[in-house]
Amino acid sequence: MTKKLFLILLIAAGCSQAKKEKDVVIIEEEVSLPVNYEKVGKMKLSEYGFFRGNPADLEPAANVYPYDLNTPLFTDYALKKRFIFIPEGSQAAYQEKEVLDFPVGAVLIKNFYYDDAQLGAGKGKIIETRLLIREDDGWKALPYVWNDEQTDAFLEITGKDEELTLNGKGTFTYSVPSMAQCKSCHERSGAIAPIGPTARQLNKTVNDKNQLLMLHEAGVLSGLPDISAVPKVAVWNDENSGTLNDRARAYLEINCAHCHRPEGPGKNSGLDLSICSPTDFTLGFYKAPVAAGAGSGGLQYDIVPGKPDESILIYRMQSLDPGVMMPELGRKLRHDEGVALVREWVASLTP
Amino acid sequence: MPEYNPERHYKSIEKSLSAQLMLAGDSSVIELPEGHFAFKNSLILEGKNNIAIRGKGPDKTILSFKPQESGAEGLRVANCTNIVLENFAIEDAAGDNIKVTDTDGITFRNIKSAWTGTVKEQNGAYGLYPVLSKRVVVEHCEVLGASDAGIYVGQSEDVVIRNNVVYWNVAGIESENCENVIIEGNEAYENTGGILIFDLPGLTRYGSNIKAFNNYIHDNNLKNFAPKGNIVGVVPPGTGFLVLATEDVEIYDNRVIDNKTIGAGIVSYELVAAMRQEPSGKQRQTGAQGVNRNYKMDTNYNPYPRRVYLHDNWFSNSHLIPDLGNEFGKLFIFKFGLKPPQIAWDGIKAPGYLLPDGQPNPEYKICVREKDDVKVAVLDAANDFEGLSSDPGLLDCEL
Repeated sequence: MTKKLFLILLIAAGCSQAKKEKDVVIIEEEVSLPVNYEKVGKMKLSEYGFFRGNPADLEPAANVYPYDLNTPLFTDYALKKRFIFIPEGSQAAYQEKEVLDFPVGAVLIKNFYYDDAQLGAGKGKIIETRLLIREDDGWKALPYVWNDEQTDAFLEITGKDEELTLNGKGTFTYSVPSMAQCKSCHERSGAIAPIGPTARQLNKTVNDKNQLLMLHEAGVLSGLPDISAVPKVAVWNDENSGTLNDRARAYLEINCAHCHRPEGPGKNSGLDLSICSPTDFTLGFYKAPVAAGAGSGGLQYDIVPGKPDESILIYRMQSLDPGVMMPELGRKLRHDEGVALVREWVASLTP
Repeated sequence: MPEYNPERHYKSIEKSLSAQLMLAGDSSVIELPEGHFAFKNSLILEGKNNIAIRGKGPDKTILSFKPQESGAEGLRVANCTNIVLENFAIEDAAGDNIKVTDTDGITFRNIKSAWTGTVKEQNGAYGLYPVLSKRVVVEHCEVLGASDAGIYVGQSEDVVIRNNVVYWNVAGIESENCENVIIEGNEAYENTGGILIFDLPGLTRYGSNIKAFNNYIHDNNLKNFAPKGNIVGVVPPGTGFLVLATEDVEIYDNRVIDNKTIGAGIVSYELVAAMRQEPSGKQRQTGAQGVNRNYKMDTNYNPYPRRVYLHDNWFSNSHLIPDLGNEFGKLFIFKFGLKPPQIAWDGIKAPGYLLPDGQPNPEYKICVREKDDVKVAVLDAANDFEGLSSDPGLLDCEL
C-alpha cells in the first residue's frame, strides 16, 4: 500500500449539536499490515451477470426480478434500485411475518444511486451495489463500489468514503459500508439476514401489478395466499396508506428494528421498535436509557408520549454526532422528513 | 476535573487492520504493531472463533478513535467465541471504547482504555463493555475517563473482574444484571462511585451471585459527570460500593477508605425511580391501548436488594462532611452530624419482607457483620426517613 498523507479536519461534520470541540487530527501515513485475502467473492459485479447491456442501466438479465419496498430504509437520500436473483428452477417460499424464505443461490441486489436532480445535471451516478448472497450455510454480504466511468463495480471489503454534494442538503461524506459493517445491521440471532423483503413490504403495486403476484406468476414464489390475506405495511410518506401511527411504526421498523428487536444486535437496551412490539415500556414509553451514555442527550426517557422534545428517540434521530446518532451506520445526514413524521407521532400520543 | 494529555503522533493502519479483522481465519493471532494509530470508523471483529488481538503493550500500541466519523464503538466484537484482547491502549471512541456482545469466552488483559483531555460529560459511556456474553475475564486493565462506567459488564454470566485499576470514571466498575461474578483485587479510586452492583429493569436477564473481595476502594469523591438521564447519574459523589436491586451479593475483605458520603449503600429501584422522578406505576389508558408506565410492568424484575451480606471489610473515612451536592449527603449531615454511617440500606422493604411471625424473610435478608466502630444505618426512605435508625443490632445477621 502506498504511503499517503492524511489531514483530517474534524469539524464534527458541521453539526451544531456536536458538543465536541474542534479538533485537528493529523495522521501521517498509511501503514500496510499483512492481509490474508481469502476468496470472499467475485472481484467485479459484472462477473455475476445480473445485468445486460450497459451495466449502469441496471437492465435485469434472466432470473433477475426488480422489487421495491413500501417503506424503505433511509440512506442519506440515496435512491435505490433493488433486484432479486433466483436461480433457474428455484423458488422463494412465502412467510407471513418474516423475510421471504429465499432458496440457496438467491442474491438480493441493492443499488444505491443519486440522480441529476440531486447531484446536478449530468452528474447522477451509481455509488455502490450491495449483495446479499444466500449460500448453503447462510447469507453472505458483499459491498461493490462503482467506478467513476460507471462501467462496473468492484469488491471493496473495507468499504469506501466518498464526498458528495446534494442539492439542498450540502456536502457530506457518503460511506459505503465494510463487509463487517454490513453485518452490524444485517444480523438476526448472530447470523446474517436480509431485512427488507418481507411480504408486508413487497405487497405493493408497481406498474399496475402487485409485486408478490408478479413473482408468483413468474414461478419464483411459492405458498402465496390470496393477496387480500397478505399483510401490508403503510407507506411512511403516503397519508392514504395508513394512520399516523401505522406510518410512524412502519418507519421505525425499517430504520431501527433491525437492531432494536429481541433477536437483533441492539437487544441489550431492551428496546423493541419492531412493528409487533407492544405499545409500552418495550417500545420506549417512559423507558430509561440503559447504556446510552451521551446518547441520552440529558433526557430521561426514550419516548415521552406527547413530548417529542423530551424523547431520546427524537434527539438521536436528529443528531449527526457518531456517539449519539441513530441509526449508528448508514446515515451521515439527518432525514428531515422522517424526523418530522416521528415527531408528529410522538406529539400525538396521549401522556 | 482531572486531565490526561498523552503525546500522540498518529499513523493509519485502518484499511489493512479492518481487512485483517474481517478475513482472519479461526484460531489466529492478529498482531498490532507499535505506534499510535488513528481510526475514522469502528474496528469490527464479527463471527470469529479463537482469535487473539495482541499489541506490543498499552504504552506502545495506541488505537485512537479521536477522528471517528461513524460507528459508536472503537472496537466492536460480536458473535464470537474465545477471544483475547491484550496489550494495547484504546482511546477516545465516540461511544464505548471496546464493546463485546453475544460472545462466549472473552478476555481483556493489560488494556488501557481512556478518554484524553479533561474528564468530561462528552466522553464515551464505557471503557470496557462486555455485554450479553459468557465466560468474561477482565484483568490487569487500566480504565479512565468514562462518563458512565470504566469497566461495565452487562447481562452476562460467569464473569471475573480482577486486578484492574480504574479512576476518573463516574463508576469505576459496574456489574449490571450479571450472574456468577467475582470482583477481586481491583483498585478503584477518584471515581464518583467505586464499585456498583446493579440490576436494572426491562432487560434480557437479571443478576445474582456476585462476590466482591480484596478490592481497594478509596477516595471516590469525583463530581458525578454522567449525562443526565443515565442511571449512574443517581450515584452520589463519595460512594464506595453501591448495591441496587440484586440478589445474593457478598462483599468482604475489602478496604473502603475515604469515600466521603457512604462506604457501602444498599438500595432498591424504588428509591432510584423516586430520585429520577419516574412516573408512578399506575397503568393508564390511551385510546384503546394501555400504556405501561414503568419498571413495575416488568414482572420478571425484583426491585429490592436481597440476600446481601457485608462482612470483614475495613471501612474508614477521614472526611468529616459528606458530599453535600446530593440528597444523601444532606440527609446524613442533618441526621448524623459529623458521624455519618459507613453502611446504609434505604430500608425500603419488599412486600414479602416480613414473614407472618414478624421476622425478616430469609429471601430478603440484608446482613452486616463488621467491626463495632462501623456505623450502619437503615434509612426508612419509604416513610420520609421517619424510622431512620443506626441501632447496631438492626442488620446483625449472617448469610
